[in-house]
Amino acid sequence: MLHMFSRREMMRIALGAAGGASLSGWLPQVARAAIAAKSAKACILLWMPGGPSQLETLDPKPGRPNGGPTGAISTSVDGIQISENLLKVAGLMKDLTLIRSMSTGEGDHGRATQLMLTGYKPTGAPIEYPVLGSLVANRLYRESSELPSFVSIAPFRFGDLGSGFLGPKFAPLVVSGSSNDPNTRANLTVENLSPIGGDFKKMAERASLLDIIRQGSSKVVSATKHSEVYQQAMRMVESQGGGAFRLEEESEALRDAYGRNRFGQGCLLARRLVERGVPFVEVALPDAGNGGTWDTHTDNFKTVTNMCNVLDPAWSTLIKDLKDRGLYESTLVVWMGEFGRTPKINASTGRDHHPEGWSVALGGAGTKTGQVIGSTGKDGTEVDRPVSTSKLFATILKALDIDPSLSNPAGDRPIPMVDDHAQPIAEIVA
Amino acid sequence: MGPFKDLMASWYRAWFTFCLAYLISSLPLLAQEERAPSTDRASSSIIPSMVDDVPSVQSDHWAEWLDLKGQEYWGVAPDACDDLLLARRLYLDLLGRVPSVSEVRDYLDLPTASRRKTLIHQLVFHEGSRSQDNARGFAEHWARQWRHTMVPQGMQGFAGTGELEAYLAKQFRDRVPFDRMMFPLIEMKDTARDGSYFRLSQSNPATYAANVSRVMLGVRMECAQCHDHPFTDWKQEDFWGLAAFYSDLGPMAAGGTVSVRAGEIENEGKKYVAKYLWSESGKGKADPSRVRFASWVTSSSNRQFASVAANRLWQQLVGRGVFRAVDDLDTASSEQRQLLDELASKFASAKFPTQTLIAAICKSRWYQAVSNDVPDAASSQANNEVRIEQVDEVAKRARQPFARPTKTLTPEQVFDSLEQALMLPISRLDPGSARWTGDRMQLISRLSESAGKTPEEYAAGVPQALMMMNGKMTSDAIGLENSRLLRATLESPFMSQKDRLETLCLATLSRNLTQGELSHFTEYINNKPNDEAKKRAHGEILWALVNSPEFVLCR
Repeated sequence: MLHMFSRREMMRIALGAAGGASLSGWLPQVARAAIAAKSAKACILLWMPGGPSQLETLDPKPGRPNGGPTGAISTSVDGIQISENLLKVAGLMKDLTLIRSMSTGEGDHGRATQLMLTGYKPTGAPIEYPVLGSLVANRLYRESSELPSFVSIAPFRFGDLGSGFLGPKFAPLVVSGSSNDPNTRANLTVENLSPIGGDFKKMAERASLLDIIRQGSSKVVSATKHSEVYQQAMRMVESQGGGAFRLEEESEALRDAYGRNRFGQGCLLARRLVERGVPFVEVALPDAGNGGTWDTHTDNFKTVTNMCNVLDPAWSTLIKDLKDRGLYESTLVVWMGEFGRTPKINASTGRDHHPEGWSVALGGAGTKTGQVIGSTGKDGTEVDRPVSTSKLFATILKALDIDPSLSNPAGDRPIPMVDDHAQPIAEIVA
Repeated sequence: MGPFKDLMASWYRAWFTFCLAYLISSLPLLAQEERAPSTDRASSSIIPSMVDDVPSVQSDHWAEWLDLKGQEYWGVAPDACDDLLLARRLYLDLLGRVPSVSEVRDYLDLPTASRRKTLIHQLVFHEGSRSQDNARGFAEHWARQWRHTMVPQGMQGFAGTGELEAYLAKQFRDRVPFDRMMFPLIEMKDTARDGSYFRLSQSNPATYAANVSRVMLGVRMECAQCHDHPFTDWKQEDFWGLAAFYSDLGPMAAGGTVSVRAGEIENEGKKYVAKYLWSESGKGKADPSRVRFASWVTSSSNRQFASVAANRLWQQLVGRGVFRAVDDLDTASSEQRQLLDELASKFASAKFPTQTLIAAICKSRWYQAVSNDVPDAASSQANNEVRIEQVDEVAKRARQPFARPTKTLTPEQVFDSLEQALMLPISRLDPGSARWTGDRMQLISRLSESAGKTPEEYAAGVPQALMMMNGKMTSDAIGLENSRLLRATLESPFMSQKDRLETLCLATLSRNLTQGELSHFTEYINNKPNDEAKKRAHGEILWALVNSPEFVLCR
């Protein structure tokens, strides 16, 4: 499927007849295509597996019995307070909307993850719903990009979720981060990105030899899919992912500001990917590198503070960095987990799973910010103006200029991108 | 260390000589033309069933019956595929790997008229040469196929499927009839035995009931777990009635409690008693005994059990079920399942001989037909903003056209085919044996991250492509230092340039090169400046062969 070349050109490259194939001559269209990609919208999802406590992050209840010892601080928007754990984010409240009344009804990690990432409750129905990243990638992908349209910097998630019925073209490219040691460079790479022997000229020859065999193979769907995926993979190898993974090109100061850990450097990588036209990037913060997770059934307060020590610099630097480069206007940044935590503090100084009245934050891509949607009352136990997952999905899609009422075909059944005909939240997207 | 090193060196020498001999002995075949498919079977009349209890003979009769009945059902069968392609299909479908160069040679040496049948008998009934290897390969491959069906990707959680595969492989090796193979899994006397299938279902009675129902009865009731089924008639009491058979075995997920007594289960405050999905009176009978339940499921009078099995075997071999939705046979109309039910009744009255049915399908015109892929409308439209109309009801009930789709190799088939094609050592003692070094696990787990849900679906994405392009196994395969296939090919003094290229193609794609391929590849090699570069060029061609769509597909 490397049809961007004439056969003759392919053979010239393969045979090295013109004095050896140059790298730039291998896939000439790619470099041009990637530059034009800045105008369209993109989304970065900061995914918090385990379910962060809203009370110690975005919806503090200072001075109440449920509030615990963590203090609240003022933000850059009058009247909005958040937890002292997120000091830097507080300074950016003008660029964020908080939804404090998520009401989703699923309190099991696996089921809630499926709901929050696909927008559909697990029913066991024989439909494999695609995750949000695949839904967005399917609508915003650019055919000739050097990178796949959905990159996941997410080493862990509950359940086996992916592009579902949308197929491999919109499956996430998973970037592994094997090291979380703040003293070493976070190791964020795509496996097998280097050609065998590091030899790009040989790789070009292989590509053309492959094309010769492919001429004879049948044009069945599976062979076409294979070719599409190989084309994408070859573009990535040729451009080394557009150089996106060369984090060392960034200044030391900026890298420090993001935080020298997997999540911090992952957020920096997300910015570099969005810059290169990737429409959807997911960065997960499953743990702070010292054993703590968001799933704070025990020792909630200290653990959430630890998690926020990683989250706060990364999230706030990401927003600032995007703004500095004029990318925040077109990039939606969403922060969410699969549920919140119980307002009631349990006997182990922990908080348990709580799918009613928890918080999500988003901003950028032209959405209205500096506001709070919904509330949970004095003690965090009431839900004023409940927001469903479907409504959140409709809002996210609308913010990305995607019509949330559209459907995708799963075999012969049209599956709406958003369940229940939900409408976007009007205060966030006009 | 010294003596050990010497030992290894001499072992390598022996292996290398062996490989060389292997390839040289296969030379005559390279000149052979592909032969026309045999046509003799159609003229043979149906023999009286004197020796009908001999599996190979019985499978002949069933194949003849399939040819006739299939023609009534679907119309005239498509043309037969060629002999080489059939060999590739049979090795992949019956042993889970491509044939070796010498196996192809032996096959083409057989008399034209009977070679197809002979190969099927060798691979299914393990007649003739290589019978032990074939028996082992057959059992291991079919165990994996059924494990894929029984434990779909994503279901297994953290539990390994090794025990289940070992259980199934033993059944296939011992030629245990299909009903006897499934019975212990339904009866589930002890959750630690018989492959620990219950544990692979999260030790959850509801999940297990859903599996038994889907795998053995072709009824998916997971939806009825939370609400009454929207398309078929299954109700919550049907679903929980099945779950109740296993209520004494394991903990429940949120939303229910385990009853200590088998036969009763509680969900959301409601109690359900164990009952069959249907019975002769039409209504599900209440009876808590799991042994009787297992007898009911596997009974030859339960046509759903035999039809589901026949449909799954058909899907595994032909690529698509006679009724396409193999997990939902309960949604098939009587017209859609007519052929299947008749085949299943033969299968059941013969006491479920799995091997016989496999051989019969392989011998039929339908299996041996050329592939007839039609573009998949849904996938080409995936990006268009279309709102697809529901297919109208009449079309939904009509019989489905015959399909012989191109299949995608499973992750295990990809590894085993690479191992075969690249002549990798398989001994545990050999440090270069990918099967034992972790290379196998790495390749299979990466491919499994994005594997198709049906034999025809191609689901691999960029990470899988990158691994095949640049990963360790490929790197070893195309380098002169490590590649046994390349060394055996290049260092053979008797091979011409053409022979070498043909050997690489035959080892990987089980076919001869086209004229165009041969001339392009020859030109590519000839343009290299020196001998060393010419040799390495063979490695680049081998790279292209194993990275071609043809290598991971089976037409």
